[in-house]
Amino acid sequence: MSTTTVHEAVHQALETVFDPEYPGVSIVELGLVEGVHVDRLGSVTVGLVPTFAGCPALDFIAADVDRAVRSVDAVTDCSVEWLRSPVWSTDRVAPSARRHLEREFTVTFRRADGSLRCPVCGSAAVADTSPAGPTRCRSLAWCPDCRNPVEVMR
Amino acid sequence: MSHTWNDMDDFDAFIDAGGMVEPHDAMPPEYRTEVFRFIEFHANSELMGGLTERDWIPRAPGVRLKQIFLAKTQDEIGHAHLLYQVAADMGVKSREQMLEELFAGQSRFHNVFHYQAVTWADQIAIAYLVDAAAFASQRAVFAECSYGPYKRVLKRIVAEEGFHMRHGEEMLLRLAEGTDTQRRMFQDALERWWWPAVQLFGPDSDPDDPMLRWKIKSQRNEHLRHAYLQKYVPLLQGYGFTIPDDNLRYDESADDGRGAWVTDDIDWEPLIATMRQGGPDSERRIATAAANHADTAWVREALERAAVAA
Repeated sequence: MSTTTVHEAVHQALETVFDPEYPGVSIVELGLVEGVHVDRLGSVTVGLVPTFAGCPALDFIAADVDRAVRSVDAVTDCSVEWLRSPVWSTDRVAPSARRHLEREFTVTFRRADGSLRCPVCGSAAVADTSPAGPTRCRSLAWCPDCRNPVEVMR
Repeated sequence: MSHTWNDMDDFDAFIDAGGMVEPHDAMPPEYRTEVFRFIEFHANSELMGGLTERDWIPRAPGVRLKQIFLAKTQDEIGHAHLLYQVAADMGVKSREQMLEELFAGQSRFHNVFHYQAVTWADQIAIAYLVDAAAFASQRAVFAECSYGPYKRVLKRIVAEEGFHMRHGEEMLLRLAEGTDTQRRMFQDALERWWWPAVQLFGPDSDPDDPMLRWKIKSQRNEHLRHAYLQKYVPLLQGYGFTIPDDNLRYDESADDGRGAWVTDDIDWEPLIATMRQGGPDSERRIATAAANHADTAWVREALERAAVAA
């Protein structure tokens, strides 16, 4: 296989690695994959960007990436690096992942103007309730219309 | 658009057909009360469980495990926060009232948070065994769950608890593959935590339990315990640990001839004691939770002021 084909195969493999806290949402869609490098001997380096430096899922994600990449036939070796730059932001999350998170997990994203829409009923009346959610990457809000707690990716 | 129902038969038929109840619906008062009590119990358990994990942040061996315990604590407290919001919205008790009653020792929470975690191995037994029992019961609630806001919150809770399970397994493996002293530490902890974990599911449900009919619970307690035993008995024995039950046996005829692990008769007295806040560590745990709430009042106040200023 040429390095380009291996590169594509590795990318496909990465799309099967789900975030440990969001089953069904891949780390590629979440914008965690910054770069994939394949050398002529089939040795792969994957550069990943953490959502937050203190995220407790980093080791599991790295282990899952390692396993997925090594499952590609032409890959001889794999190393996973957590990068300090660029810094992850919600801008890196793909529209498909946003839709999935809104529909399946009631987790939403702030719009460019800072406003929120309820992922359950679409209301614009959603208001922040606490900057601290269950994880470092989410804060809490409440929809007074459909009366559901909502979490906001940040 | 909100639902109204003519009578209880009408409501039961709606639930039976897979209907989802939402906050604006004119739900029967019995349903409201029962679902509220269930969510309040769950919220209390998340809060008390989170505080247990917090105790071990400074004592966890190594930075990575401290980071994990910090994150797990935040998860549990966050879950409690979401659940208290959903519960308070049902209009039975305010959030303040729920917390006040919890700290006054008038509320129930999971039996396992009425015991003391003596060593680090106890905390691993909790992460591996006890959390797995709680996780199994939450998953069974999520599977059906007729109350919309609760089901939405459960979806995220279940995903996060699944992630905690991985940590529990990883930590258990370290001890199981460790020195004799480490293995003995886990064996001692297993002796303290096995029965509370088995009792967590509660005595078998009455087949007429309204929580089953209204699809808050999807399975009877005994079914959940049965499934749990079939998974964890072989795992623990496989690691070479001894389950503290002399009458534990594999009964070929159990489960309609399919064979199953069966425990000794379960003594329900310890569970009943915890439901009256009379467990071995209930008093200290509740007092610690109350003191923690008082100590962190300034944080809530600062957040409120910041919100007003913004």
